[in-house]
Amino acid sequence: MRGLLGKTVRETWAVTLFLGILLLLVERLMSLVLPQLMEDVGLQFIQLPLMKKFVSALMGIDLEGDFIDIMIASLQWVHPVVLSLVWAHAIIFCTRWPTGEIDRGTIDVFLGLPISRRKIFLGESIIWLISGAVILLIGSIGYFLGVGDLAPEQRPEISRIFIVLINLYCMYLAVGGMVYFCSSWSNRRGRATLWSFTLVLGSFLLNFLAQFWTPAERLEFLSVMHYYQAATILRDGVIPWGDLAVLLTFGFITWGVAGEISARRSLCTT
Amino acid sequence: MSLINTTQLTRYYGSRVGVRQLDLNIEAGTIFGFLGPNGAGKSTTIRLLLGFLRPTAGSARIMDRDCWKQSHQIKRDVSYLPGDLRLYPWFTGMNALRIWGRIRKMDLETTGCELGERFNLDMSVPVSDMSRGMRQKLGLILALAPKPRLMILDEPTSGLDPIMQEALADHIRELAAQGHTIFFSSHSLHEVESLCDHVALVRDGQLILNETLSSLQRKATREVMVEFKTEEKATQCTLPQFLKITRRTDTRWYGHLIGKPSDLMLWAAQQDIVDITITPPDLETLFHQHYHHPDSHPADSSPVQSEGSES
Repeated sequence: MRGLLGKTVRETWAVTLFLGILLLLVERLMSLVLPQLMEDVGLQFIQLPLMKKFVSALMGIDLEGDFIDIMIASLQWVHPVVLSLVWAHAIIFCTRWPTGEIDRGTIDVFLGLPISRRKIFLGESIIWLISGAVILLIGSIGYFLGVGDLAPEQRPEISRIFIVLINLYCMYLAVGGMVYFCSSWSNRRGRATLWSFTLVLGSFLLNFLAQFWTPAERLEFLSVMHYYQAATILRDGVIPWGDLAVLLTFGFITWGVAGEISARRSLCTT
Repeated sequence: MSLINTTQLTRYYGSRVGVRQLDLNIEAGTIFGFLGPNGAGKSTTIRLLLGFLRPTAGSARIMDRDCWKQSHQIKRDVSYLPGDLRLYPWFTGMNALRIWGRIRKMDLETTGCELGERFNLDMSVPVSDMSRGMRQKLGLILALAPKPRLMILDEPTSGLDPIMQEALADHIRELAAQGHTIFFSSHSLHEVESLCDHVALVRDGQLILNETLSSLQRKATREVMVEFKTEEKATQCTLPQFLKITRRTDTRWYGHLIGKPSDLMLWAAQQDIVDITITPPDLETLFHQHYHHPDSHPADSSPVQSEGSES
């Protein structure tokens, strides 16, 4: 297992570090820009019906009253750029096995080794779980560096930020499980990536549209974003056990099915 | 005891045949040549043996273990060099041996470095900077270093220069002498003829020949040239049954030997002959008959008979 883990780390550390640093920079940048932006735009503008709906759709809750502080803090964790970086890592990582190996033609050499496919999948998954946590930790450094620039009343409680991070990590796992599933039956990494990206984007749009469009509202429960409520956590400080359970269950099932498919199907360079 | 045993092994890719009803028995300690043109089913057979592909029908067993269900257990005693070798671009010889050694739970670095010297490969160069021949050498080192009981080499000489091909052949002979079994796939008859002691031929996914090399050599014809002292002697001489003459000149006969070389030698000693030439067994003609003859039957259903077969 050591050799297998070493190989995976050797191949993934650069992309994990790169996306982690990007996330750190984005978080830091937003912590510099957002308070000033809110001041310039003004509370009244955001409370315009259309704007309010747009912001609520992005953050997933109906904002009432003085929500500017929550908005600043939660935007840093629900902004599409932040989500894109986290999803990009899940997609890049989880399409490595088996489609990545098939696509670059190395699967024949790799499967020639005395190691079961389930063990390969497990080894990949262990590094994936660790990499996901690393990326969020690096990103949160950028966030915490920026907290010092905020006025004391704008600083959310650290415990609430950790709950948001846990919720985001669970969403990362759910997305990763789904990507592994797309990868497990495909022979082309590009195709698996396209499917994964389509599903993730669809999930995001469904959650967004649900705020404006009743038919989408009925299907909102299908979106992983529906179970990621950063603004609610920052406002209430309550651990969303139900949402976490849904995300983890979805992630675990899709991950498990992906592992079984890749263990049972014919795999070789095409 | 059979090391590899396949029974009616069949694999379809959709409606296209990969291999069909393949019956193979390979004894331990042999160098088994698996011969066939491109697309004949050689790589498919190997992938079935290694458990990459699930058979559509039939079964394959190595060391009495099922190749699909117990694939990773089998591979403790098997190494493999793919025909279309692709390695990780960040690999160097050394870190590849280190990582592969950790996965195999054995020290590959010592043997691997020795092989690196033997094959003249700089083990510190990354794969991304290697030529095709260098990559092939590294693939061979990774396959040969563990010294397992069975080595499956799919077109191992591809990309190697003649000197390296000879070095590889020597190494394979040494391994076979130590009791290792080599499954050697190739489309080059010359390679198989010079190295293997058992040969199987596949065409269109079917096994059409499966015999020891010595048995094939006995079946193969030899070209013969006999030169008599005078034209008169050549005309008067009675043609023996074991010679089939295809052309005559004033003093010379050209033809094929159908029988044992010893018969020819005994006969020649009694004739007034100034020169005689016998070529080695012509396997190429025999193989071409099988490749191109539309009536060649699968080896399991109809034993191969060549023109020069012994009765």
